[in-house]
Amino acid sequence: MLFPTLGFLLFFLVVAAAMAVLDTRFMAKKAVLVGASYYFYAQWDWRFCFLLAGSSVVSYLAGQLIDAAPDRRRRQIILGIAVALHLGLLGAFKYFDFFISSANQLARLLGLEHELPFIEILLPVGISFFTFHGISYITDVYRGDVAVCRNPLDMLLYMSFFPQLVAGPIVRAAYFLPQLARPSAEPIPIGPALLLILVGLFKKVVVANYLATGLVDPVFAAPTSYGGPDLLLATYGYAVQIYCDFSAYSDMAIALAALLGFRFPANFNQPYRAQRLREFWQRWHISLSTWLRDYLYKPLGGNRDGRLKTYRNLLLTMLLGGLWHGAAWKFIAWGMLHGGGLAVERMLEPWIGRRSLSPAAKAVATLVVFHFVCFAWIFFRAEDFALASLYIGGLASGWGAGLQQAGPFMVALIALGLAGQFTPDALFDRAATAFARVPSWGLGAMAGIVVALINALGPEGVAPFIYFRF
Amino acid sequence: MVAVERELSTTSPTPAASAITADAIPLALRRRGASPRQVLAMTFVGLLVLALFASRDLPSWAGRVGDGPLAERAQVLATKWDDAMESLGLVRPHEALRAWVAWALDVKWDSDRR
Repeated sequence: MLFPTLGFLLFFLVVAAAMAVLDTRFMAKKAVLVGASYYFYAQWDWRFCFLLAGSSVVSYLAGQLIDAAPDRRRRQIILGIAVALHLGLLGAFKYFDFFISSANQLARLLGLEHELPFIEILLPVGISFFTFHGISYITDVYRGDVAVCRNPLDMLLYMSFFPQLVAGPIVRAAYFLPQLARPSAEPIPIGPALLLILVGLFKKVVVANYLATGLVDPVFAAPTSYGGPDLLLATYGYAVQIYCDFSAYSDMAIALAALLGFRFPANFNQPYRAQRLREFWQRWHISLSTWLRDYLYKPLGGNRDGRLKTYRNLLLTMLLGGLWHGAAWKFIAWGMLHGGGLAVERMLEPWIGRRSLSPAAKAVATLVVFHFVCFAWIFFRAEDFALASLYIGGLASGWGAGLQQAGPFMVALIALGLAGQFTPDALFDRAATAFARVPSWGLGAMAGIVVALINALGPEGVAPFIYFRF
Repeated sequence: MVAVERELSTTSPTPAASAITADAIPLALRRRGASPRQVLAMTFVGLLVLALFASRDLPSWAGRVGDGPLAERAQVLATKWDDAMESLGLVRPHEALRAWVAWALDVKWDSDRR
């Protein structure tokens, strides 16, 4: 069930009706939200619900046991087992066939004839996200950053809450569980939420969908059939597509949670305006980058043990960040590029670090970071490593051909997507404030008209969000 | 056990600074708002208006709902509804936009290649 569909709108209408009827009965509201979330998840495959429930039970029990353990050693053992169970589950579903394939390749290289069989398990949608939720909770309980969750209903809701279940943002236990302890006294921010939904719909249905079908998919499928200009524009196109696709999902998830009375953290903040690669990661998929920072980079030692270990930690963190996206060498290459880029940036810190830049130098820095990120996206998007190499080869050599695939409409969408990176925050704030003054029925009517327009502008049918497969 | 950083000697009642992330909707924008009933009203009105102006996509959506007599009935109703909206002229904005997008997609850099 995708957000920008009529089926989801009907589902949300029923959930909103239940929230309105139950009004002040907070426990009942939470129970309804758990039921709705499991129904939502079952639309992909009802068997996945057992996995989600099992992951929630492991997290809940581990939290209780860590809290009750009398000494540090036992707490560490319980934490270790619980993290291993979560990672084992993720590994079995996401990485098993990758390891079999790599082992078979190695065996062929060594001249061995026996091949290990693939098990070809269907990857449960959102498994990476709810695994990270579970690890975040038990680690936070271990560290004392969050009080242990005594109410099983709260744990079930934290792990399964449908707005963020399948593609994030990754919401920390310390951030979300306190919201489940008591009902919020704040009014529902209906204006900003509606604006986020409409902007998100436009980004996904119009910009991301057309760029995918009209430019990115055909060019990345057969890069040798296109010249340099098409390859370059398809690279920019993918940068805009993945931003519009993923940030649209985050926008809608944040808005839906807000309409149900919950707060979510920001997940994107105009990432392509970054002047440093480090800044890019402070603006892109913020909930993942901060998760990796707090649960991987810092435990590895962060920047505390000298320069060489800092570079190693950056490389390792980004390598595992790449692997989190999928079991493939192309994701490893993508992670290593970003890890290497961050390490080089750190090396150059004494020269570029504290110097204030002129406007021209800032523009150059933004362009350099954007093009580095685009280059890394080629590995991320290409079907495999070999096609990524062909793509880069074409970019380096094939400039004699004209544009075949990237028409004016595609270029306009790329320009629109990039222009959106430089709009002032005040614009959103002003529009959201204006929305908040309109009565709810007026907002509904306006939203209906705008959604109908977006629906007419977009192609027929909605492609799944890119991050569903992670 | 990559997630273990260090053991705290005392437990803190508040989350560590690194665990707190900025709210996506800032506090200034959350001061004014609505009740769950108003959210329901907005969703309901939105759905109604969408049914008026996006009726062109209803039959195909109803066709994807599933098989069986209920789905068939839903598709017949969706087609009748779309016909009614067409007779009222409410599908014209939808069709005009679709036609404009089809034209925009067809535009090439070299006008001879159109």
